[in-house]
Amino acid sequence: MTVPMLSVTGLRAAYGPVQVLFDVDFDVAAGSVTTLIGANGAGKTTIMKSVAGLVSATGGTIRFEGRDITRTASHDRVDAGLCLIPEGRLVFPGMTVEQNLRLGAIAPRARAGHSGMLQEVFRRFPRLEERRAQQAGLMSGGEQQMLALGRGLMARPRLILMDEPTLGLAPVMVKQVFETIEELRTAGFTILLAEQNARVALELADRAYLLENGRVALSGPGSDLLGSPEVRRAYLGM
Amino acid sequence: MDTLLSGQLLFAALVSGSLYALVALGLNLVYGTLRLLNIAHGDLVMIGAYTAFWAISLLAIPPVVSLVIAAALCALLGWAVYAGLFRRMLARPDLAKRVEANSLILFYGISVILQNLAALAFTSTSRGYQYLDTVITWQCVSMTGNRLLSLGVAAAVCFGTLLFLRFHLFGWSLRAVIQRREAAQVVGVNLNRVQMLTICAGFAVAGVAGVLVSMTEQITPFMGFPFTIVAFVVIIIGGLGNIGAGVLAGFCLGLVETYGIALTSPGYRSILIYGLFVGVLLLRPEGIFTKAVRS
Repeated sequence: MTVPMLSVTGLRAAYGPVQVLFDVDFDVAAGSVTTLIGANGAGKTTIMKSVAGLVSATGGTIRFEGRDITRTASHDRVDAGLCLIPEGRLVFPGMTVEQNLRLGAIAPRARAGHSGMLQEVFRRFPRLEERRAQQAGLMSGGEQQMLALGRGLMARPRLILMDEPTLGLAPVMVKQVFETIEELRTAGFTILLAEQNARVALELADRAYLLENGRVALSGPGSDLLGSPEVRRAYLGM
Repeated sequence: MDTLLSGQLLFAALVSGSLYALVALGLNLVYGTLRLLNIAHGDLVMIGAYTAFWAISLLAIPPVVSLVIAAALCALLGWAVYAGLFRRMLARPDLAKRVEANSLILFYGISVILQNLAALAFTSTSRGYQYLDTVITWQCVSMTGNRLLSLGVAAAVCFGTLLFLRFHLFGWSLRAVIQRREAAQVVGVNLNRVQMLTICAGFAVAGVAGVLVSMTEQITPFMGFPFTIVAFVVIIIGGLGNIGAGVLAGFCLGLVETYGIALTSPGYRSILIYGLFVGVLLLRPEGIFTKAVRS
């Protein structure tokens, strides 16, 4: 059996005295799309932040490509090839599109080839090239999502963590985001996706995990979860 | 009317404006990146001033050299404060949330300690020295060499910092931390390193300002507080954490103060400064030069 690209075992996390994650286990296989679904407050964002190093785990281990990164600083994780596209986009509002992208390549490993990578991001998102001198804070939500994704790609990640990429977007943009995820998988990226839009997320997923109150309630191939009566009733409204 | 249009008044306004901009720059860097309200900022100016005074009176080291010594000394102090007090607080999310309020109290304590240590070590006698105080006249503007030096150094440090923030990659990561701390971490900025170097730089700038002040003003252990106040007024006028606007606001305050006094009388100095301050707070609490960009 091959070692998964990301392997999380017994992960616990807390905000002060409030424990949010209780012994969460999951794997992300290289080249796959893995989806975390669940209601608001189930712990999806906390898992994403723990894997990215923005929230420190109070227990358990996080292994990336076989290496224990549970206590590694967030900038070293970016440099190792793991990159978060955060919930709410979090672009730098007062900087231009191009400056945002340049900052995406601040990790030492990504610094050298940043201009080539910029061309690649512009090729993937022509809209960003049109808007390269625009202040990021003045763009629409969909454009900011593209920028956040482009900025993430600038770090040359092998694993992309996408936290609620469709939150607050118009339906046409939601469709585009999912198409982009599909394209990225084809291009060889490994993706961990946290998503409220359970149906599309499950259709896309090679493997999916259903979270409830900070625990993994159900896991399996995306299609299995799509067919599970529990998921259909609670998350797909059927 | 003639005095208002004279180069003399403009020079005076630029000298004090550049000094305000410089003192505020250090405070703004520290507030912007670390969200620390450094109420002891003016006391670093005092340390810089004493450094220059003792260097020239005991070792005959000229203030131009003391600029470097004071910067290094204050940077070291900044490192000690960061490593000793704030690194752990900022790394823990629950403490980091309260660090802004707590820092006010902590820095107040640091301020009291610094002032009283200075009073113990150097007594509260006011000190002064003479350096480059011959008058140079150029195009009907008479100025002393030390004021010219002060303007030159302050303006160079301010604009050098702005250029650094604009063009150097480290400057970019600093701006990234100011704009969105979490996003900066997401893209892989080494937060700890940026915070530490910023607090060192912010403290060093205050030390440099202190050396410049000492060339023209009396040095006492308690000289720092007015600088703290002026620095806060400037960065609130410019917009907290907005480095460029803070520099601009410093110069503006110098102009308003100098021309205001020329039009009225020196008795109105406080009314002018705080009038501008209160006016900005009432009309544009986000700062006059802050563009309202939200995402």
